[in-house]
Amino acid sequence: MGEFKVHRVRFFNYIPSGIRCVAYNNQSNRLAVSRTDGTVEIYNLSANYFQEKFFPGHESRATEALCWAKGQRLFSAGLNGEIIEYDLQALNIKYAVDAFGGPIWSMAVSPHGSQLLVGCEDGSVKLFQITPDKIQFERNFDRQKSRILSLCWHPSGTHVAAGSIDYISVFDVKSGSAVHKMLVDRQYMGVSKRKCIIWGVAFLSDGTVISVDSAGKVQFWDSATGTLVKNHLIANADVQSIAVSDQEDSFVVGTAEGTVFHFQLVSVTSNSSEKQWVRTKPFQHHTHDVRAVAHSPTALISGGTDTHLVIRPLMEKVEVKNYDAALRKITFPHRRLISCSKKRQLLLFQFTHHLELWRLGSTVATGKNGDTLPLSRNADHLLHLKTKGPENIICSCISPCGSWIAYSTTSRFFLYRLNYEHDNISLQRVSKMPAFLRSALQILFSEDSTKLFVASNQGSLHVIRLLEGSFKHLHTFQPQSGTVESMCLLAVSPDGNWLASSGTSAGVHVYNIKHLKLHCTVPSYNFPVTALAIAPNTNNLVIAHSDQQVFEYSIPDKQYTEWSRTIQKQGFHYLWLQRDTPITHISFHPKRPMHILLHDAYMFCIIDKSLPLPNDKTLLYNPLPPTKESDVIRRRTAHAFKISKIYKPLLFMDLLDERTLVAVERPLDDIIAQLPPPIKKKKFGT
Amino acid sequence: MVQLRPRASRIPASAMVDEGQPPSEEEEEAEHGLLLGQPSSGAAAEPLEEEDEEGDDELDDEAPEELTFASAQAEAREEERRVRESVRRDKTLLKEKRKRREELFIEQKKRKLLPDNILEKLTTAGPTNIKKPSGKLKEANLQKKKEEYEKGSDSKNAKEKVQKVQSVGQNKSYVALRLKDQDLRDARQQAAKAFIQNSLYGPGTNRTTINKFLSLENKRLPVKKAAAQFLNNAWGTQKKQNAKRFKRRWMVRKMKTSK
Repeated sequence: MGEFKVHRVRFFNYIPSGIRCVAYNNQSNRLAVSRTDGTVEIYNLSANYFQEKFFPGHESRATEALCWAKGQRLFSAGLNGEIIEYDLQALNIKYAVDAFGGPIWSMAVSPHGSQLLVGCEDGSVKLFQITPDKIQFERNFDRQKSRILSLCWHPSGTHVAAGSIDYISVFDVKSGSAVHKMLVDRQYMGVSKRKCIIWGVAFLSDGTVISVDSAGKVQFWDSATGTLVKNHLIANADVQSIAVSDQEDSFVVGTAEGTVFHFQLVSVTSNSSEKQWVRTKPFQHHTHDVRAVAHSPTALISGGTDTHLVIRPLMEKVEVKNYDAALRKITFPHRRLISCSKKRQLLLFQFTHHLELWRLGSTVATGKNGDTLPLSRNADHLLHLKTKGPENIICSCISPCGSWIAYSTTSRFFLYRLNYEHDNISLQRVSKMPAFLRSALQILFSEDSTKLFVASNQGSLHVIRLLEGSFKHLHTFQPQSGTVESMCLLAVSPDGNWLASSGTSAGVHVYNIKHLKLHCTVPSYNFPVTALAIAPNTNNLVIAHSDQQVFEYSIPDKQYTEWSRTIQKQGFHYLWLQRDTPITHISFHPKRPMHILLHDAYMFCIIDKSLPLPNDKTLLYNPLPPTKESDVIRRRTAHAFKISKIYKPLLFMDLLDERTLVAVERPLDDIIAQLPPPIKKKKFGT
Repeated sequence: MVQLRPRASRIPASAMVDEGQPPSEEEEEAEHGLLLGQPSSGAAAEPLEEEDEEGDDELDDEAPEELTFASAQAEAREEERRVRESVRRDKTLLKEKRKRREELFIEQKKRKLLPDNILEKLTTAGPTNIKKPSGKLKEANLQKKKEEYEKGSDSKNAKEKVQKVQSVGQNKSYVALRLKDQDLRDARQQAAKAFIQNSLYGPGTNRTTINKFLSLENKRLPVKKAAAQFLNNAWGTQKKQNAKRFKRRWMVRKMKTSK
């Protein structure tokens, strides 16, 4: 394998934003997640819970509600008073409609999917009609006294329950008038000074309204008479979210203490037909407020201020009890936020509103395996580049020579030229970038830093030649056929001839840059691509998919390589396929063509194509055996996958030169240390 | 009848001098003029005289001067006139000042406004419908899409009809908004955010710091450990920076002298 010096980088201060809303779509088994910085992410739960698409956020967009409508349409509403529809194919915002009610707190789609209700700050509930290309305002319901914080339709579409501050109203949809007004008791730990905020309501088909409020209560109301049926006090803090399953026999609530409770409708005695709601399971997977929960047919999904997305499959609903039924916790991003300039040993970190450029430290000491070498020069924070405007940065890249930085937001594209003289660095912006470059999903520089490749969200690929202080647009590859399945990923070959791009349902396209035309297309696979890279010299395209399959495709020969066919026939080791996190980066050793270096969040692996492949019986993770073992045993147990779990959680790992690696880690404790305050827990003895 | 001695008053000195003579001339006639309604009884007179006694002792034996009604009336009228004059003068001065300020403001405003031709075009162009983000037009960053709806019921806030005008002028395409609406919208958004912040993290919520939360386990261990964030790395950053700089300079100096 070789000896490497590893730069262990922990100064990337990456803090994900908290999850605010979660919406589950049953038909496509997809989950839409909106975060506090305005980003909306789409996770494909059947593709190994991979984040396939995302919509970048905006400072003024504080999303408070998210829902799916009929026909895979995604709507969100927020505190800026607008209802936004997202275009899942063009990966941008279709339009935004102002509701004229002030900040919008809640939104609900009718059971048949044709009408949309929003609850606003001024106490009004507005009804919108969903037309094929946009939404249209229909009418207002009776105005209430305080802001409408939660909304839910009755499954038949005739009534609506709206939770406000200190009371719940039940509206009749046809007339728009409030039929009942149920007052909620403020009692909280004996003190009734604070107003009781109804964070969530749910309407069952038998007319029961379930409400969760800030006093820690789950209450069952009868909407026909407007009276309280049952009261469960489940927490000392707010209960902030509720989600009911489609069969209406179970629902899940999330509390501010991080606990998620599962309620089920069980029969009173084993042979009676009478049923009642019983709190069955508590789950403590979060440390902070659980602000959003969703109930899919087989799993409970929760997300909150501690930025984890937790998907807990329910054992009684899962048919096959295999690794698919395990808990999934998604913490780290599924795409690369770091780019590296190998020549100058620079790292570019992408945050939501700024970029940071760091130079790695250096050492002159040497040591043996496992030593920590002291730094002779510390890592240097060279540049802190803030973006202009309220939009979030979508993607960024630094050229391998270190003289160009490019990043893109939804409306603009920025290209900077860096000059280094002695120890100083100066920045020059290249002005007048063309309009077609904005909203880029992926930016990549060629190895010799003369060309810039930009994948825009319309599906087209732009090739731009970079000159001394300016640029020249060379060519645009038009979008090929096929629907957009995931965010586009790009890879360029080190000799500059080939460009690979993924993201459509047609497969991975390979373009010939010298002749500026499409060369071939790798056959499509039903799982999205998570990482892409082209090897030097051999020009083999290595593709990693979200189900942990790795393919190797030879571009000049236009077919899969021998090694790839062998491993597909044998199949990967079962532990390799059971990994949770997707592979986000693939790189190669310049002098060793048989090695592929790839990493995911909890391990990095060097695949040696010359060694035999492991079958299911061999030990997959076998670190270096002690030298006492004889050579024979070592040779027998050696297999192609050399996995190391020393550095985790890994955000990025790359080969800087033949003897140096850089590993960017982000310990979970460092993220937790910067989160908002949690609810106090009283433990005996403290 | 109480005679008023000339006392130090707000009336300017020249006026005082003038008044000195008339009362002395018409002293005799003042006895007859009780029309001024001055209290002639001793009770009212005495306190005044007592005050005088403390101040001017030598003038005690002198007889108080006599004032005729006419003279006093004339005096009063003159005073009134003078006051009226001064008020009028002040008013005119203020008016002039205000006029000048107004003109100054109008000039400044004119300077701030857009050139007349663009304003004309803005007022003539009509309102637009829902905006779709088109790839061609480069819209300004402030984007608010408003539609004028016919609302059946009332709404508390006035219908914010903002005339959004697009593509004014051939080359430029930008969007004009009324700033008053933007402020109102921002204020409401701020109020909403403040409400959420208050209800989740405000007073009355049972929140604790991250440090205390993570250190809870450490307190219950058989061998008690320190808190999770025991060290405060942000303490004294300025001092540490200064020390580092000083050390570097000292090293350089040391190198120079040792050579």
